[in-house]
Amino acid sequence: MNKPYMGKILMVDLSNQTMTEEAIPDHVYEQYLSGMGLGAYILYNRMPAGADPLGPENILGFCSGFLTGTGSLFSGRWTLVGKSPLTGCWGDANCGGTFSPAIKHCGFDAIFFKGISPKPVYLYIKNSKATLKDAADIWGHDAVETEEILKQQYGQKAAVAVIGPAGEKCSLISGVCSDKGRIAARSGLGAVMGIKKLKALVLDGVQRIGAHDPAAMKRLSRHCAKWVRMPLPLTSGSVFARVGSFLRVTPVVFPQDGLLYANILKKWGTGGMNQASIEMGDSPLKNWSGSNRDFPLAKSKKINPDLIKNTEIVKYHCYSCPLGCGGICATKGQHAHTHKPEYESILALGGLCMNEDLDSIFYLNELLNRAGMDTISAGATAAFAIECYEKGILTKEDTGGLELTWGNTESLVALIKKMINREGIGDLLADGTKIAAAKIGKGAIEFAIHAGGQEPAMHDGRNDPGFNVHYSLEPSPGRHTLGAHLYYEMFQLWKCVKGLPRPSLLYTKASKYKINSEKAQTAAACSKFMSLANGAGMCLFGLFIGVKRVPTFDWLNAATGWQLTPEEYMAIGERIQTLKQAFNIKHGVEPRDNFISSRALGKVPQTEGANKGRFVDVEKLAPGYWDQFGWDTTTGKPKEETLRKLKIK
Amino acid sequence: MSYTITEKCNGCGACARNCPAVAISGEKKKPHTIDASLCIECGACGRICPHAAVLDAEGASCMMIKRSGWLKPDIMLESCVACGICIDACPVGCLVLSELPRKKGVDAFPYLKDTKACIGCGFCSRECPVEAVVMQIPVKIEKVAASGESA
Repeated sequence: MNKPYMGKILMVDLSNQTMTEEAIPDHVYEQYLSGMGLGAYILYNRMPAGADPLGPENILGFCSGFLTGTGSLFSGRWTLVGKSPLTGCWGDANCGGTFSPAIKHCGFDAIFFKGISPKPVYLYIKNSKATLKDAADIWGHDAVETEEILKQQYGQKAAVAVIGPAGEKCSLISGVCSDKGRIAARSGLGAVMGIKKLKALVLDGVQRIGAHDPAAMKRLSRHCAKWVRMPLPLTSGSVFARVGSFLRVTPVVFPQDGLLYANILKKWGTGGMNQASIEMGDSPLKNWSGSNRDFPLAKSKKINPDLIKNTEIVKYHCYSCPLGCGGICATKGQHAHTHKPEYESILALGGLCMNEDLDSIFYLNELLNRAGMDTISAGATAAFAIECYEKGILTKEDTGGLELTWGNTESLVALIKKMINREGIGDLLADGTKIAAAKIGKGAIEFAIHAGGQEPAMHDGRNDPGFNVHYSLEPSPGRHTLGAHLYYEMFQLWKCVKGLPRPSLLYTKASKYKINSEKAQTAAACSKFMSLANGAGMCLFGLFIGVKRVPTFDWLNAATGWQLTPEEYMAIGERIQTLKQAFNIKHGVEPRDNFISSRALGKVPQTEGANKGRFVDVEKLAPGYWDQFGWDTTTGKPKEETLRKLKIK
Repeated sequence: MSYTITEKCNGCGACARNCPAVAISGEKKKPHTIDASLCIECGACGRICPHAAVLDAEGASCMMIKRSGWLKPDIMLESCVACGICIDACPVGCLVLSELPRKKGVDAFPYLKDTKACIGCGFCSRECPVEAVVMQIPVKIEKVAASGESA
């Protein structure tokens, strides 16, 4: 009861439908926490080298956060882990909602699945008793319907994670849904669940989650809540568009404070930065070939955050979140209620495809959530297809009569529907840009913007070079939630961790592109911290508020009684990160193959707009980053001595 | 630690029906037992047992309390941050985050939806990080809950 972890995992072998409870020794938690760390530990040690991501050897894990349920705030994230069929690398996806505490209430820190079931099944756990049930009746239903059916049967208190039709059809850009539209979307792990014929998990437990010092946990949470509730006078959403324009033209900038972002998130959600991102060059447009000039204010005002906020009827909070960036919106048409679309979805289905129709974005967002398909990858793949069509690589015959032109909303909706159902051209595109480009040939690969096979998110690395570093060099390539120049400023790690550099109070934008050891150090610090945070189940948006205000290290100490220093916790993050890289090496991944497509790096620099002339040389940035972890500076492979030092070997 | 049942038990089964953790088993009219590995110490069995046959985790005898006298959560909206920890802590799922729009604003707050299902364990209050949940006598609660909903 006094430990924040349950000390047990459930291993389900779907091939012979058996379940084994396993005790995990304390030292594993001390080295890796739980969440993504525990997932990496199990997958690295138990998956044979070269396992087929869509074969029985792949292990799919649902891991709760280490701090989930301990009285800490922002700690309700769960991590889905597995070998990604999209990239062939380490794969993870992160989701909020209420599923993370539900895993612990069933008495487990994580639930793993291996093998392939001969028929569709779902896992039902009542308290600690797990059973595999026949899923014939729910197979084929969309994610929201399935959740409603299961909750009707097992009660509203049950937490449900489920794949939609996209996962069932093994689309490599599908994810796992919970809470009627929250989705662990990245890395294509929905396809792994689909090929295993595992439709859903239904968790209904009441076991208590402990903490070493509950009073200290609460004290720290009250300190955190005080910062989150601090109101800033933010009036209208269109103000940010002007701020974005200013940030585009000013040559000098200052380190940003995440408190501002927290207030934007609280009021508008992630979509609050829609227009600002386009204006400042953060958001890629027209399949990464356009600039803010292609999507000027006159167009972007149609996705003004206020318009989205006006449809919101009630805020949505994930478990243990005092911020509540989510919302339930009332929409016209087929679906009465929908989760408020996130920034990534709005821009992937909007600006990237030059689509300025907000209604279609709401509709496609709900459609993709129900299908269990990643909105980022779906939007990016649609943008890729549009460019191929515009360039004559795809013809009207190929598309089944669809006029795939920039900003053609009708065709975009029809295309995404085809992708979900794997019909015609949709079948080709349902596995992401890289695979589609390989099948199309004719030089289409030039227009497939990906890192290691995964479509990067709607943050342009030419605007913040940190994004390009993390898109290219993380063990799970193409991910935007693991670090950036901006994130480092907002985490404010230097206030707790000795030896990390404090950004200057004013600096030129050009200085962000200079390659030096400080850049490597800050990028590595982001990766280590986010690996730790994903082990702890912390939310990125909480961490943006600053490490002193959202006291992750102090919560970890109060929850465990370990009394480690922030540097020692960062070492845990470093160990998790290195283990993920070692996983990739074990499976034959060449880290250099994961560098993001040259267009996104600016190899041919843009000639106009916010990112004019910008080029990020990842080739030159990589050695410094790898060196920070003790990985080989030419190959990116963890050195033997590093593995021994971190006790991985 | 866990709650236990003494030989005073006559096997009426009231505790088993009230246990949210399904930790109590036994044949009708025979003494029941609590599975220590499942017991979450919510005390629901002790409050309902008409024969004072339940001992709490410290070994003290539990007193039966009339259902109408069980404490119920009262949520102080001014200090609540809507983190949902109370909702998750509730072993019977009687608290929910308001799903319907309120007259003013869109902020969500937890409220006691299913008053009858509440077993008065107080986990919601104990786990609330900002001390916004107070366990109160029910009469007052119902009034506050009603006014809170329409506020």
